[in-house]
Amino acid sequence: MVTFNLLINAVVTGILLGGFYAAVTIGVTIAFGMLDIVNIAHPVFIIMGSFVAYIVNRHFGFDPILTVIVAAPLFFLLGIAIFRFYYAAFESSGKGSLRGLAFFFGIMFVIEVTLLLAFGVDYRLVQTSYIGPNIGFAHIDLPLRMVVPFVGSMALVSGLYIFFGHTFIGRAIMAVAQDEFALSLMAVDTVAVKQLAFGVAIATAGIAGGFLIVIQPVDPSLGREYIGRVFAICVLGGLGSITGTVIAALILGVVETITSTIFGPSWAPAVSFAALLLTLAIRPSGIMGR
Amino acid sequence: MANSITIENLNAGYGAVRVLNGVSMRIGSGETVALLGTNGNGKSTIIKCIMGAVTPTAGRVTIEIDGHQYDPSAMKTKDIVNLGVVLVPEGRRLFPKLTVEENLLLGAYRRTARRTITRSLEYCYATFPRLRERRRQLSGSMSGGEQQMLALARGLMTAPKILIVDEPSVGLAPIMVREVIRKIGELKKEQQLTVLMAEQNFNQATKICERGYFIVHGQIAFVGNSHEELSNNELVRKIYLGAPVKN
Repeated sequence: MVTFNLLINAVVTGILLGGFYAAVTIGVTIAFGMLDIVNIAHPVFIIMGSFVAYIVNRHFGFDPILTVIVAAPLFFLLGIAIFRFYYAAFESSGKGSLRGLAFFFGIMFVIEVTLLLAFGVDYRLVQTSYIGPNIGFAHIDLPLRMVVPFVGSMALVSGLYIFFGHTFIGRAIMAVAQDEFALSLMAVDTVAVKQLAFGVAIATAGIAGGFLIVIQPVDPSLGREYIGRVFAICVLGGLGSITGTVIAALILGVVETITSTIFGPSWAPAVSFAALLLTLAIRPSGIMGR
Repeated sequence: MANSITIENLNAGYGAVRVLNGVSMRIGSGETVALLGTNGNGKSTIIKCIMGAVTPTAGRVTIEIDGHQYDPSAMKTKDIVNLGVVLVPEGRRLFPKLTVEENLLLGAYRRTARRTITRSLEYCYATFPRLRERRRQLSGSMSGGEQQMLALARGLMTAPKILIVDEPSVGLAPIMVREVIRKIGELKKEQQLTVLMAEQNFNQATKICERGYFIVHGQIAFVGNSHEELSNNELVRKIYLGAPVKN
C-alpha cells in the first residue's frame, strides 16, 4: 500500500536525485546541445571522477566532493586534449557527426576496460561523515548523502548559468554551433571557444563523479546506466538549455522515484526512455527548446 | 586617421575555378564605395579576400588602419576584425536561437569594443528603435528587414573603422531596401566610417555612394563617380538595368 507519507518522501527524494541528475547531464547539454558533439562517453568520465574520489578518499581520507573540485582542472585539461584530437581528426574535415560518435564510443570502452583491469568488478564506496545520517522534519526523512550532492549540483549549474548567460565567452559558446563563420566575424577564435567549452563539459563530469560515489557505490560499468538517462534529460530539457536541463532532471528524478516506490525499482530505468519517446512525440524541441 | 582598402590586380578563385581576374579598386578613407554587379560575378569573392577567408592567387589587398598597413591574406578573419574591419555578411548570418540583445552583445566581443559597450548598445537602440522593443525576442523569429537591421547593428557593436556590407537588400521588400540603405548612409556619416557595400540594387546603392565599381565576369568593367555617370553608362544599362541600348 502506497501511503501519502511514502509519496511525499518519494517526491522529496526525487527532487534531490533530480538535482544530482542535472549535474550529471549539464556536460552533455554543453557538448551535445551547444557544440553538436555527441559525447556518448560522458557517463564514463563521471565514473572516472568517482574513482578519483575513491582513490584519494581511501588512501588519504579526503572528502570525495572536495577532491573532485580540486581535480576539476585536470578533467578540464583532459577534455581539452580530447577535443584537440577530435577536432584535428574529424571535425576540421567535416566528418564530425558519425565518426565522432564512433570515436567517443571507443573512448568509452577504453576507459571502462582500463578501470575494470585496474579495480575489478567490485562496487567501491567512500567514507565520509555525511553518508550515514539523515536529517528529518515532520514526516520527511532527508538522507544527507543525497542532500550534499544536491546542494553541490545546484551550485554547479548556477555557476554555469551565470557563466553562459553573462560572460562574453559563455555567449560565444552558445552561438558557436549556430553559425561559426558569423562568430569569427565578431573576432572570436571559434576553435578555442569550442575547446574551452568541451573542457568545461568534461570538468563537470569529474565533479558529478564525486557526487555519484557519495550517493551510491560505483563500479566501472555503472556509466552505462546513465547514458540513456543523460541523453533523455538533455533532449527533454531542450538541447543546450541550462534551465531546461535542470527542470527536466528534476522531473525525471521525481517520476523515477515515484515509479520505483509504486512499481518497484526495476521499472525506474524505463522512465527515462518513456520520457524521451514522449518528448519526441509531443514536443521535440523540449521544455526550454528555442 | 586614414582607414582605407587598396586592391591591386587581384586574382582569386575556388580550386580550378577562377573568379577574379585582375581586379583593382580603392576604398579611400571616409568614402562609401559600391560594388555593383549581378549574381556570380565575384562581388562576394572580393569581400572574402578582404576578410582573409579566400587567399588570392595573384595581386594583393592592403588594409590601412590608422596609418598602419596590413595584408589580409596572411591573417585570420578574427584578427582582421580585431583591426576594426567588420563584415555584415550576405544572408545576415544572425545567431537565430539567441535573443536580439545577446546577438548585439556578441558583436562587442573584441576588447576594443567592450570598452564602449554601453554606449554602443544605447546608440544601436536609438538608431534602430525596433531592436529595443524586441531585445528579449529570439532573432530568428523576426522579419527579414528587422534581421537586416540587427545584422547592421551587430556589426556596429564591434566598433568598426571600416564597414563592409554584403548584399544588404537581398530578400527584403522594396520599402525595406530603401530604409536599410538609407540607414547605412546615415551611420557612415555619424560614425565617420569607411564603407564598402556590395549590392545588386543599383538605384538605391548609387544614391549613397561616392563611387561605384561595376564588376562583370570577375573584372571591373566600369567605374562611375556618381549616380548619373553609372546609370548613363551603356554597358551598365545593357547588362544591369535591362534598358535597350540606343544605336
